[in-house]
Amino acid sequence: MMHRPIGKIVKSNSHVDYVCQVYNSGETPHPPDPTDYAFGGFVAAELEAHSGVALVGLIYNTLLMNPEFGSLGPRLSPRDEVEIFSPDYLAETATLLGVICIGWFDAQGQAHQGVPALAATVNCPVRLLSTDEIYAFHVDAAGEPQLRYTPLLLAQKHALVAPLLMAVIDRLSGLFPHSRNRLAVMRNNLAWKSIVQPAR
Amino acid sequence: MTREDAMTAVGTVKGPGETPNEYLFIAPDPERRVKHGEFVYYLAAVDGVERAILGRVTGRRPVKLFPDSFLADPSVPPASVAALLGYESDATELFEITVTVLGYHSPQLGDFINPRVPPVNGAPVYIASDELLTEVLSKRRRGERGSAYIGSLLSRPEDAAPIVLDVRGFTGTHLAVIASTGSGKSYLAGVLLEELMAPYNRAAVLVIDPHGEYGTLQEMMNLREFSEGDYRPRVRIFRPDQLRVRIDTLTLADLHYLLPPLTDKQYYQLRRAYQMAQRRKHYTLEQLLQAVREAADSKKAPQNFEEEEEDVTTMGLLWRLNGALRNSHIFHDFENLELNELFRPGQCTIIQLNEIDRREQQVIVATLLRRVYQARMDTAKGKLERGDPSHLPYPVFCLLEEAHNYAPANADAVSSDVLKTILSEGRKFGVGIGLITQRPGKLDSDVLSQCMTQCIMRITNPIDQNRIAESVESVGRDLLKELPSLSKGQVIVSGASVNTPVLVRVRRRITQHGGQDLDAPAEWLKWFEEDRPAAEERAAALLGDKKIHYEDDGDVLLA
Repeated sequence: MMHRPIGKIVKSNSHVDYVCQVYNSGETPHPPDPTDYAFGGFVAAELEAHSGVALVGLIYNTLLMNPEFGSLGPRLSPRDEVEIFSPDYLAETATLLGVICIGWFDAQGQAHQGVPALAATVNCPVRLLSTDEIYAFHVDAAGEPQLRYTPLLLAQKHALVAPLLMAVIDRLSGLFPHSRNRLAVMRNNLAWKSIVQPAR
Repeated sequence: MTREDAMTAVGTVKGPGETPNEYLFIAPDPERRVKHGEFVYYLAAVDGVERAILGRVTGRRPVKLFPDSFLADPSVPPASVAALLGYESDATELFEITVTVLGYHSPQLGDFINPRVPPVNGAPVYIASDELLTEVLSKRRRGERGSAYIGSLLSRPEDAAPIVLDVRGFTGTHLAVIASTGSGKSYLAGVLLEELMAPYNRAAVLVIDPHGEYGTLQEMMNLREFSEGDYRPRVRIFRPDQLRVRIDTLTLADLHYLLPPLTDKQYYQLRRAYQMAQRRKHYTLEQLLQAVREAADSKKAPQNFEEEEEDVTTMGLLWRLNGALRNSHIFHDFENLELNELFRPGQCTIIQLNEIDRREQQVIVATLLRRVYQARMDTAKGKLERGDPSHLPYPVFCLLEEAHNYAPANADAVSSDVLKTILSEGRKFGVGIGLITQRPGKLDSDVLSQCMTQCIMRITNPIDQNRIAESVESVGRDLLKELPSLSKGQVIVSGASVNTPVLVRVRRRITQHGGQDLDAPAEWLKWFEEDRPAAEERAAALLGDKKIHYEDDGDVLLA
């Protein structure tokens, strides 16, 4: 079963680095729960111009937009009444997700890992991937897991890349129990470099 | 190590090492199986055939360890600090192992062939199984003809991988046993002699035993392990009072060496006398002395004062010859140790040289070696008839304890030359030499380098270590580093009798070991328990009722 959209693409920082704005209560009858857009979640952005093609991304960051931040002076309207006097003002607060694109499903539903040729468009809806889709995205022809997007993530030099990859590996260890040894080598290496070595 | 253990990879190849015959592999090795000196292999296709390319671990460098700061408190394990930070895996160590490649074993060549290509990156590395090592490290199988089972591989449990020397190798191209005192060299020599006298070898062996510690080998004659069919080894011991060297077998150099320092004139006269005596086939001391007098007479000058001087020279020489030869029970006019009594297949002859003067020992060894070498040459060339006491129609092996006394470095010994000759040319005539020494630094370096099989035990003296490094080419530097840390009964064997240098735990001797140190404290206590009461009883019996009092200064008072 396909998950409901949790937000839409509103901006990109590069060909693979997108900003997704989480739907709030005014935009959808079922606003997503914070657990739906948790760190390390796999998401898909359906490309409207290419039916069936969906970019696959990973939530690597969360940002809160709050125009009120920094306005330390007293306000004429109390917080409860702002909704009545300036409803558009509330719409300016938003939860933004940093999503890195790590691959795509083609029109035939075939998974590809790496940098996609196509880019998402503004307002392109973003939804969570189901467990079956996550498995399909990672399994190769031999039934073994593949993590070919790891170099792409490591090249981002982002502070949260190591925890992100470890979260991904932990998730895949559950999906590919027969490959736990291989995944553990990768996880131990990441953990050593990100936990033990910096504490030196 | 079971076959299943051996089939599990212990590491993964990283790439080539510093030298062309080294490679590196990475191993977590939590069970510490990759020991220094351990044998490992990888699989590679050589000429279309998959081969196990064997190598020896020669280095180990950590590439992943807990940071030093995690080790700050001895009561806190570093793993718990890492767990505190969120690192909970037990993969906390990683080592880069250096391996020196030996190659794959070719049964046809009986040697290792180095493929000369490093293994591919990522190839799994396995620990060699006991069966594989038993197969490839030794040139011979245990108990077969020409084999000498001396012990088992040190890095494996006792007897898991036996090491068997090729007797043909060390009896043909000589053997050196090098070890400091108390490291078990005589024990190892005993093991070798047991193997040589076993029914599958039946060697003709002579042992030069300056300390009289090989007498226990006589037990071999009565032990079932050494007999087969009608074969039973014979062990003959020649005690110092039984040793004889016939005077006419001494060379001019031997005589010169035995006598106190000679003047130039005395030496000249001795040489003339020796040449005159040599005209006879056999001569006695009296005949030699007569030759000295005759040599003096023939040189007599007309002037009286010179005649007097000549007499002084002659008298001095006669006095020296009498002093050295007449008063010695070893040098004899007629008796000699006959070679066919000393050397016989299936016989181990032990020449005990304890209580004999060092110079006399050297002359005894020099004359013996010279005679046996000459006898083998003459027998090989057909100059000796069957029945002649010197007819030796079989190869012989001589084991020399304290060999540095017979071929010292930086010193002149009468036995050095003949020893060097045999070491360089004895192979052709079937005279093998085994040298045992505790001071390789004092042994002539040419002598040591001629021994193609080496058994090296614990050596801590740096001068001795350097001498070994200079003279013994077959042992790699990595193994020489092990020398100070070897324990008693552990030996590095290298050279012609094994396929590759190996660290061996010497097997138990079947006969008793005769070279044990005296247990002084035990002897002292024994005196108090047994001898002193007996002495006091005797004293009491002699003195009747009188009691003995010992004063502080040791005086004895009878009361």
